[in-house]
Amino acid sequence: MNYEIKNVWSILLRLFHWSLVLSIVTLVVTGFYINSPWTNTTLEGTGAFPMATMRYFHFLAGYLFAAAVLVRLYLYLFGNRQERIWDILPVTPRNIKSLTTTVGYYSYLSDKHDKRLGHNVLAGLTYVLTIAAAVFQLIGGFYMLYPESLFWQGWGGAVFGSQQQGRFIHHLLMWYFILFAFVHIYLVIWNDIRSPEGLTSSIITGKKFKQKNG
Amino acid sequence: MEEQAGNIDLNPDISRRGFLKSCTIAAAALGLSEAMIPRLVAAAESAQRPTVIWLHFQECTGCTESLLRGSHPDIARLILDIISLDYHETVMAPSGHQAEKSLHDSMEKNAGKFILVVEGAIPTADNGIYCKIAGRTAMDILAEAAPKAAAVIAIGSCASFGGIQAAAPNPTGAKGVQDLVSGVPIVNIPGCPPNPVTFLGTVLHYLTFKRLPNCDNLGRPLFAYGRRIHDHCERRAHFDEGRFAEQFGDFGHKNGYCLYKVGCKGPETFSNCPAARFNDVDVWPVSVGHGCVGCTEPGFWDTMTPFYERLPQVSIPGTGIITDADSAGKKILGVAAAAAGIHAAVGIGKSMIKGKDKDKA
Ligand code: HEM
Ligand code: SF4
Ligand code: SF4
Repeated sequence: MNYEIKNVWSILLRLFHWSLVLSIVTLVVTGFYINSPWTNTTLEGTGAFPMATMRYFHFLAGYLFAAAVLVRLYLYLFGNRQERIWDILPVTPRNIKSLTTTVGYYSYLSDKHDKRLGHNVLAGLTYVLTIAAAVFQLIGGFYMLYPESLFWQGWGGAVFGSQQQGRFIHHLLMWYFILFAFVHIYLVIWNDIRSPEGLTSSIITGKKFKQKNG
Repeated sequence: MEEQAGNIDLNPDISRRGFLKSCTIAAAALGLSEAMIPRLVAAAESAQRPTVIWLHFQECTGCTESLLRGSHPDIARLILDIISLDYHETVMAPSGHQAEKSLHDSMEKNAGKFILVVEGAIPTADNGIYCKIAGRTAMDILAEAAPKAAAVIAIGSCASFGGIQAAAPNPTGAKGVQDLVSGVPIVNIPGCPPNPVTFLGTVLHYLTFKRLPNCDNLGRPLFAYGRRIHDHCERRAHFDEGRFAEQFGDFGHKNGYCLYKVGCKGPETFSNCPAARFNDVDVWPVSVGHGCVGCTEPGFWDTMTPFYERLPQVSIPGTGIITDADSAGKKILGVAAAAAGIHAAVGIGKSMIKGKDKDKA
């Protein structure tokens, strides 16, 4: 078969992706620790600061996470063709068709699959939902990080209510990200096996392999 | 026994020393410099005592009790000394029609000038019939009194945010003052009960500067509710160093370690408890080994419970399961993993069948 190499993802998008991965893994691990610090130091005067250190890395990763989310929001508007939000909003006939085709394909009802370069619309919409969840997560995070700032009190209070409610939703949203990561990785592998086009490596190289005249 | 407001007569005469001491405590609570104390003293001494009308609605009178029975009787006396308390059901002498009359007379005479203090939530369900005084609903009384006041002070979590009456399912439709009154400056002094010093500070601020203190978005004075308990707590070093009480009575608890893991809500609660402390003996809940339960926050009965866990419980819709967030998350993740497994198996099965078909063809 004849394949050609297509450039799909810009450097900025790939940087966004891996920053998000790194930050989410760090945030989930340190987040679990913050919720229930599993080491319990009984020695005094040892100079260990486990809770302070975990929180420090949580906040560091939080800033990386926030930066990554801002980059993705920028790319939704100013990225390349595959990265822009218009490519996946189910408002054009092409995109609506992608959505129905993908649902049929994923549920084994048909073998037809959407051969577009960028995301199929089902995946794209899930990513939009995830970025929206990420925006909520970072508002909640900064609300807790800067409790005395009237700016974050305003936003956090309007979106979540009290600090405790913000914290609770912050914790629940963590489970959304864990669930998302699991399903995301499963479907990437599944797609790569069913219709090989270099999907997995595309987020490293930025390139996909497309069948000529395919 | 030490003299307390409870075991001596509440004599309105207050010693000069006690008077200055109370003014100084209030100045410290307000975060004012020493140089401001004479202004507070002058304001407190001035002959023009503002009229205060104190309404009790759906409540336990704990706020009044804690104010009057502080081990520092001077604070209670000072408050009673610097204001002219025209109506207060717990401490006034008249009763019945006489009491009603004094309420109305005072409200008319001082219209636009008096301070209205509200203690307790206001039930609004079924036209407010769940709290009636002299045949009138709390809603009615508040709607009449509040617009005539110069300012409203909502004392306690009930008057501020509805308190326990407003906890789910809130059968009486209880609400805080700020949900029902508009057009009059309102300041919230939440707490269950609030620290008397915070109330005194607010009143003295009003007398001295002729306006209510600066507030946060929830209408709580910043001098008392501007910072989180957790950021001023004496156990904070143990938190940072990862030393926690795992349960009450264990090694960590006996050694005064941080109460985070037994549910302390200090990280989510704004109040001056660790700084102002209670009862003149320098204690507050965390100092005596019990976590903060977040009593100054809106809806604390619903959101801060279970008091001995960090986070509220979740109920998974359609299953009747009520559990903590993490075991709910693990269950949902397990379901997702099972679904992925089935999905993959179907795919493999299908391609095996198809493979056979292809061979045949
Ligand atoms: C995927 C993203 C994130 C995850 C999974 C996550 C997870 C968590 C978890 C599980 C907790 C513990 C809450 C509890 O159960 O008590 C927490 C706390 C916290 N997170 Fe995040 N978080 C994320 C993003 C952020 C961001 C972007 C920020 C902003 C800088 C942030 C700031 C905080 C703060 C300030 C706390 C409270 C720490 C404390 O008071 O000790 N988080 N996070
Ligand atoms: S006892 Fe409570 S308020 Fe104090 S440091 Fe621990 S969690 Fe924070
Ligand atoms: S320590 Fe917490 S629960 Fe106790 S009075 Fe203060 S704010 Fe309320």
